[in-house]
Amino acid sequence: MKLLQPSSLEELDAAGPGLLLAGGTDVVPILRNKLIDVDTLVDIRAVVPRGVDGTRIGAGTTLAELEVDPQIPAALREACASAASPQLRAMGTIGGNLRQATRCWYWRMHYPCFLHGGDRCYAQTGVHREHSVFANDRTASAHPSDPAAALLALNARVRTNRRELSISELYRLPTNDNRDVVALDYDEVILDLEVPTPEASTYLKAMDRQKYAFALVGVAAARFGTDVRLGLSGVAPIPWALDSAAGLDDATPLPDNAYKIQIARALIERALEAVG
Amino acid sequence: MSDLIVNGQRYALDAQVGRSLASVLREDIGLIGTKIACNEGHCGACTVLLDGVPTLSCITLVHTVGEREVTTIEGLRDHPLVESFVRADALQCGFCTPGQIVSASALVEANPHPSREEVRHAMAGNICRCGAYPKIEEAVLTWQD
Ligand SMILES: Cc1cc2nc3c(=O)[nH]c(=O)nc-3n(C[C@H](O)[C@H](O)[C@H](O)COP(=O)(O)OP(=O)(O)OC[C@H]3O[C@@H](n4cnc5c(N)ncnc54)[C@H](O)[C@@H]3O)c2cc1C
Ligand code: SF4
Ligand code: FES
Ligand code: FES
Repeated sequence: MKLLQPSSLEELDAAGPGLLLAGGTDVVPILRNKLIDVDTLVDIRAVVPRGVDGTRIGAGTTLAELEVDPQIPAALREACASAASPQLRAMGTIGGNLRQATRCWYWRMHYPCFLHGGDRCYAQTGVHREHSVFANDRTASAHPSDPAAALLALNARVRTNRRELSISELYRLPTNDNRDVVALDYDEVILDLEVPTPEASTYLKAMDRQKYAFALVGVAAARFGTDVRLGLSGVAPIPWALDSAAGLDDATPLPDNAYKIQIARALIERALEAVG
Repeated sequence: MSDLIVNGQRYALDAQVGRSLASVLREDIGLIGTKIACNEGHCGACTVLLDGVPTLSCITLVHTVGEREVTTIEGLRDHPLVESFVRADALQCGFCTPGQIVSASALVEANPHPSREEVRHAMAGNICRCGAYPKIEEAVLTWQD
């Protein structure tokens, strides 16, 4: 395996395609478990901006830096503070977090499932307590990112080395022809995020234990004037937007995860109360 | 070939790309205080400091460390936390202890009088399979006694 360490965007372009490496908290375990096969790693830490400047967040900023930054909306701060563990937050970047792979245990154990390019989803008929309740017909994977749900509620925009897009455009439901949940090229680099400032926002997360667990359901709410936007984690293969709790009536739970709908309903109620 | 700075000492780094900092510390340098348990970023047993920041050495590729200073449990031999862990009897098998002390050292460096909730937040990434949590908490809360 080769490790390239470009020091500018020009050098990055010249480096050619490779798997991007930021904090490595997701990439390194995935490589070690041979879930993907790569011969070139591109360490992008020197070329991706880091730090917060008003409403602009460098994609290389760590979750630990964001969880204590007074400049960013509460929903994003709270989502970062509730994600992973202190060490992982100190290492993991927001850019890497948005592109993290599914935590589905079948995928992680290398079952030849739909997301790995195969023709069936093992979770749908297997163990799926933690899987999705929306858009789960092809893959029942539940999107694990807390910050992504917050950024969806906040209507954030993403700037890459090739274009600008909204968070809702960043994610896509996988199709037979393209199994990726992110609408980026393999070697496209998220450079920074533009995060609007709401009047009020919050992120609430239900977990199996109080700290250091993935969201069973996470709910972000952000109020801009009288308009409230909701973003959910843990309920669909991608971060999921809802207009209101009524949207939960369209869920398509699997036999063992309908409880997520009740949790989502309760969290939405509390989140709406919190943002006024 | 670059170097690796560990506990104030410089070592020539001669490792294959893809190897972890934890494996180099243990196998090449012989600093076996840093433990490897899960080897995939879950448990915290392998925690070291990189320029003072608690970091999981099992999922840190050694070639990405660069000029950052690595501090392992061996570099914290004289830290008062070592004594307070003994005083509070904050371990059973002791396998998680090096990682616990490394995480706690960063916490008390930044915040010498942490509250119980602050200890829980900062130490949540160090799993103790023996369940010694109440005493670990006590050891961190009383580190200056
Ligand atoms: C045990 C464990 C528990 C966790 N718990 C949570 C949790 O509760 N909530 C949560 O939200 N997350 C959780 N995570 C995920 C963690 O937050 C992410 O792994 C981390 O934020 C990824 O950032 P990184 O910089 O380490 O990315 P890397 O591991 O370096 O990269 C991850 C992916 O993103 C790509 N990438 C990295 N940077 C960029 C960029 N700038 N532009 C485009 N692509 C990029 C990489 O190519 C790779 O595909 C957990 C992870 C672990 C291991
Ligand atoms: S939920 Fe997705 S990742 Fe898991 S088995 Fe089904 S297709 Fe694969
Ligand atoms: S051994 Fe590194 S986190 Fe478990
Ligand atoms: S003392 Fe045994 S794992 Fe913590």
